[in-house]
Amino acid sequence: MIQIQNVNHTFLIGKKGKEKKVPVLKELSFEVEKGEIVAIVGKSGSGKSTLLHTIAGFMSPEQGSIIVNGQETVHLNETERAKFRLNNFGFIFQNFQLMPGLTAFENIELPLKLKGIAHKKRKTSVQLLLKKVGLEDVADHYPNELSGGQQQRVSIARALITNPPILFADEPTGSLDSETEQDILLLIQDLNQTMGVTFVIITHDEEVANIAHRKFRMRDGVLVKGDANNVI
Amino acid sequence: MLFKDQVDFVSQHIKKNKLRVFMTVLAATMGCAFLIVLASIGFGIQDTMRKEILEDQAITEVEVYTNNGEALDISQIRTVEHVNAIVHRTSMDIMAVSQLGERSLEGNMLLTNFAEEEKSNLQLSEGRMPTKENEIVVGYQFAENLLTDAERKEMEQSTEEDAEPIGGYKESLIGKTISMSMQSYEMDEAFPEKWDFTIVGVTEKPARDWFVDTNMLVDESWKDKFQEVYEANTGNENPDLFYSSTKIYTSSLEHVKSVTEELKEMGYSVYSVSEQLEQLDVFFMAFKIGLIFVGTIAVLIASIGIFNTMTMAVTERTREIGVMKAIGASPKLIQRLFLMESAWIGIIGTVLAVIISYAVSFLANWILPMVVGAALGEDEFQDLSMTFSLIPWQLVVIASVISISVAMISGWRPARKATKIDVIQALRQEL
Ligand SMILES: Nc1ncnc2c1ncn2[C@@H]1O[C@H](COP(=O)(O)OP(=O)(O)OP(=O)(O)O)[C@@H](O)[C@H]1O
Ligand SMILES: [Mg+2]
Repeated sequence: MIQIQNVNHTFLIGKKGKEKKVPVLKELSFEVEKGEIVAIVGKSGSGKSTLLHTIAGFMSPEQGSIIVNGQETVHLNETERAKFRLNNFGFIFQNFQLMPGLTAFENIELPLKLKGIAHKKRKTSVQLLLKKVGLEDVADHYPNELSGGQQQRVSIARALITNPPILFADEPTGSLDSETEQDILLLIQDLNQTMGVTFVIITHDEEVANIAHRKFRMRDGVLVKGDANNVI
Repeated sequence: MLFKDQVDFVSQHIKKNKLRVFMTVLAATMGCAFLIVLASIGFGIQDTMRKEILEDQAITEVEVYTNNGEALDISQIRTVEHVNAIVHRTSMDIMAVSQLGERSLEGNMLLTNFAEEEKSNLQLSEGRMPTKENEIVVGYQFAENLLTDAERKEMEQSTEEDAEPIGGYKESLIGKTISMSMQSYEMDEAFPEKWDFTIVGVTEKPARDWFVDTNMLVDESWKDKFQEVYEANTGNENPDLFYSSTKIYTSSLEHVKSVTEELKEMGYSVYSVSEQLEQLDVFFMAFKIGLIFVGTIAVLIASIGIFNTMTMAVTERTREIGVMKAIGASPKLIQRLFLMESAWIGIIGTVLAVIISYAVSFLANWILPMVVGAALGEDEFQDLSMTFSLIPWQLVVIASVISISVAMISGWRPARKATKIDVIQALRQEL
């Protein structure tokens, strides 16, 4: 599903002329299989988000190859990447990133609009998914009228509405209390089992990492197998 | 994204910022309305002058001269297509004194060919065209200027400028016979020879109010006789006694231009309505372009507002744009959505401006003549139908194109900026 080979990335930090080179990804290689949940853990600043951003195509790594669904994505241009994301990826963010001017329903509907799907078809798909994530009653609420857990459910529904093969989640429960976190994790597991969605989850929460089929630790710019208690 | 959804998206954003968008539309409206109203003055004055030209004279008339004083080649002119009549009027450098009972008039005599006059559509207010040698047509004001000596004296003493004509012949002149004699400008007495002419027609009222037509039109067969009498009385052979003007009448206004061109090619000097209109059009073309240029400056000032509004809209929505891009909106779509928003401002502004301009134009044409009329004294202005402002559809098109393109150009940079927004940076923004 995702093959990453020898990816390198270095950030230049500081004032112009006195930049410091900070290598964040070093000869990083790993693979994600179809239908699995992969968790990436690691210290703050270790480069987890940067890795996700390169896979998602929000930025290009300096070197290396990223193949998603058999397609090399590193050399795509902005427009091609946008289209690729629309068709292959769903995103769940720590702070939900919902559109404040749109209702829960409309937020979930947005990716379908981007795909150019007609209103009627959109309506049935959104309603179906609203039920699945348990939000039928708050479909007309705006994000600021929803609890954190409900917002994250909306954001998960938005990520799922186009049936993408891969979902990325960067600290999906980082803004939620532990009870709500449990709900969301159950939902993720359910979606993975019933719909076969592949998840790549970035977290520093062991509870979250525990739902993963495989765990990786980010350290010194490379991924190593294992979790916090099992550092190789 | 479907077009309908794009429109929904844009209108949702506009609704969210009603006041700001309203103010921007207001500025765009004012700029565009200023452009239209300003240019409409040019169109209005041109229209007024055009009408005046067309009203003032026989519009199918083409005047021809030779450049060297030679005679015109009438047969050559006749070959020109659409020439309806060639009226060759000869006037004499001499006064024609007409006598009717105790009333008399010193006027001008014009020798002409009545058959051609008829073809040229010479309009009579009364009577008919002459058929016999001693039948004549007189000018519209001929009767009122037939004065007795007493009336003439009274007339000369009256100091008032616009005094009503005193006396004059009150009955119809048709069928009346006048006695005509010629008088040289250098002599106090008329020549002894007298001829009797019967008036059978009176010309139409001249188009220009101030024009007084006291001419008499006499058949051209008299020319030789008049010359003989002149020579016998003055003893000199005056070669400049006669001078003539030739007017060509085309079958309709649309042929004036082609006839004018053809005669010019033949080497004649030509003067016609189409010449006059062309000069007018050239002048007003420049004038109107100038006005539109000045008006465009107002549109450009308004466009600064659009630029600001759109830049603010993009800055405000940085995070949302980032999310849109992250979930798969292409940069092209983002750009289009913002361009649509600025185009919307331009279009609404233009539509409102057109409506307002027509209202302003209507009011100006209604109120200004009254104001000017009051200032100049009622009478002078009453029958002067003047257009101060005219908005033809061409002006609406020009103004719309200018103002909508300016709106889109000023929205261009902000829209570009929106496409350049970095997803990672945008997602980092605080909610
Ligand atoms: N745009 C950037 N420019 C320069 N340096 C950056 C940029 N983005 C990230 N970095 C640096 O790269 C390193 C990795 O950052 P990253 O956000 O990937 O960490 P992270 O593992 O996601 O941390 P956290 O768990 O706190 O989210 C950090 O040292 C950071 O300073
Ligand atoms: Mg991070």
